[in-house]
Amino acid sequence: MILPYLALLLLWGILPIFLAFTEVPHESRANPDGGWDAFKIVIQDFRFLPALIHVLQFMAIFVPSTLIAVIVFSLMLDLNPGKWKKYLRLAYIMPASVSGAVAVLVWYAMLQPTFSPLQGPLSFFGITESAQIFQTENLPVILGIMAFFSIAGYWIVIQYGSLQSISTEVIEAARIDGCSGLQLALRIKLPMIKKYIVYMCILIFAGGLQIFVEPQLLNEGIQRGMAEDWSLDQLAYTLAFLDGDFGGAASLAILLLIPTLLLALIVIYKTDMFEEANDEIRSKKVKG
Amino acid sequence: MSTLITRYRLNRKIRQESLIGTLSANIVLIAFAILSVVPILWLLLAPSKTDPEITDRHPLAFGQFSGYLTAWRNLQSFNDGVVLTWGLNSIWINASIVILATVSATLAGFVLAASKIRIKKILMVATLITMLTPPMALVVPIFVLVDKLGLMDNPLSVILVCSLYPFGTFLAYIYFSTTIPVELYEAAKMDGCNDFRLFTKIALPLSWPIVSLLMFFAFVGNWANFFIPYVLLPSPENYTLPIGLGFLFYSTPAINPGVGATSLPIFKPEIALAGVLVALPIMLVFMFAQKRLIQGMLSGSIKE
Repeated sequence: MILPYLALLLLWGILPIFLAFTEVPHESRANPDGGWDAFKIVIQDFRFLPALIHVLQFMAIFVPSTLIAVIVFSLMLDLNPGKWKKYLRLAYIMPASVSGAVAVLVWYAMLQPTFSPLQGPLSFFGITESAQIFQTENLPVILGIMAFFSIAGYWIVIQYGSLQSISTEVIEAARIDGCSGLQLALRIKLPMIKKYIVYMCILIFAGGLQIFVEPQLLNEGIQRGMAEDWSLDQLAYTLAFLDGDFGGAASLAILLLIPTLLLALIVIYKTDMFEEANDEIRSKKVKG
Repeated sequence: MSTLITRYRLNRKIRQESLIGTLSANIVLIAFAILSVVPILWLLLAPSKTDPEITDRHPLAFGQFSGYLTAWRNLQSFNDGVVLTWGLNSIWINASIVILATVSATLAGFVLAASKIRIKKILMVATLITMLTPPMALVVPIFVLVDKLGLMDNPLSVILVCSLYPFGTFLAYIYFSTTIPVELYEAAKMDGCNDFRLFTKIALPLSWPIVSLLMFFAFVGNWANFFIPYVLLPSPENYTLPIGLGFLFYSTPAINPGVGATSLPIFKPEIALAGVLVALPIMLVFMFAQKRLIQGMLSGSIKE
């Protein structure tokens, strides 16, 4: 019964990790002698450092703004419950239906001063021409906005849900003791949903590191050259599918996988995030 | 002592938020809701207008209903109606993924919860790691693997790759270990019931809530997926809608002035309609299943 899942897990989850390692030493134009120098070669590639800087710039905008917005908005939604707020939640989650290619289309339109519904705010910032926006140096902000709206509302709704799991007795007791809304949020609610927030942080961080679709489409579909090999995943794509350097692409994939794997292992073993799974593992250990 | 505390608490009024505080919080909440909805409204309204109207009229003005039909007819003129093929590809590929992913994850979750297989620990850790690793991370070795298996440009590759559903397995595992008591499994086993009968007799009748939740997440996660089909399905006739939308970007001058003028009537309303076709199914699912999404995410991340 477990075989279909086991086969899929081995084939697409585990085997590719090993395959990435076996691909690395292959000979290529960039690494004519083959071998593990592929890692060094890919790091020294003239496109690597700019791509790394771009991704870090993007993440410096996207990750903190998303985390802060999710925490602040979910707490504010929870502050004074009202039936009408379910419509707010529906409004927040809607942009999550617009991701990848559609997000590029929609945000291209939103940032286009000639026909954007946000003409007012854009002209407030002195933006009246498309050329002022769609520039390579603005990409961290443009992509940050796209990624923010694709994901923030979705997480606001989920974290609002996690706040609902706090028992009303705890909240009432704190209220009776004179806790203000802000104190309640910072001292009671936030610590109680800490695990959910950590889980969100990991997924947002891991997703941000692998940004590909949006810059790739901006570059290929909207303005050629604007985001050529802009992100690390785009560079891996170019190495593999345009340069035919699978060793280099596999090295880059492994380098990108390391921080994510480390975070995943920390979450699994060092936090109580997956209590149930950990309990199983621990009880096995004790028995073993 | 406890009476004193009770009296002290009763004497103090339960602290409420000030009116100004509540009001300003609500204003910020509503402003953010408007900002979230405006892009969606623009997308839904754009195909009702003509291309010049998109620029000339108010961005959120409604054109005419016939605009949607015209845009659809124009879209059909692109490469002999390939857009319809993309739509059908999206439907059957996603339906296959949703079925295969849900069935494999439900069965695996059940086995992990109910039976004492030896590799349970390692399977659990592997599931959690794959769950936290974005699928894009492994796209290069997956491509190599698909190529070695001779499945390149075959929709079966996307179906198989995307059917790996560790998050679903984890959800099913949590569901079966919390809703069905271990004693029940053990008693049934003592009576000579094997895993398969255990599943069909005990778990299956109880599994509709988890199956529907798994189908929901599998659909939402895969419908708009871009990277995997983009890499594995290079021929335009095999594209799914999101890849097709990207293809429209770079092969028509609608939003890409770099492409020279063509005789095709593909402009902004047509591109926006293609965008609506990608986004609308997810919007509808969100509208009708928001509550389930919250429950699912919470039971998935943490067992309370």
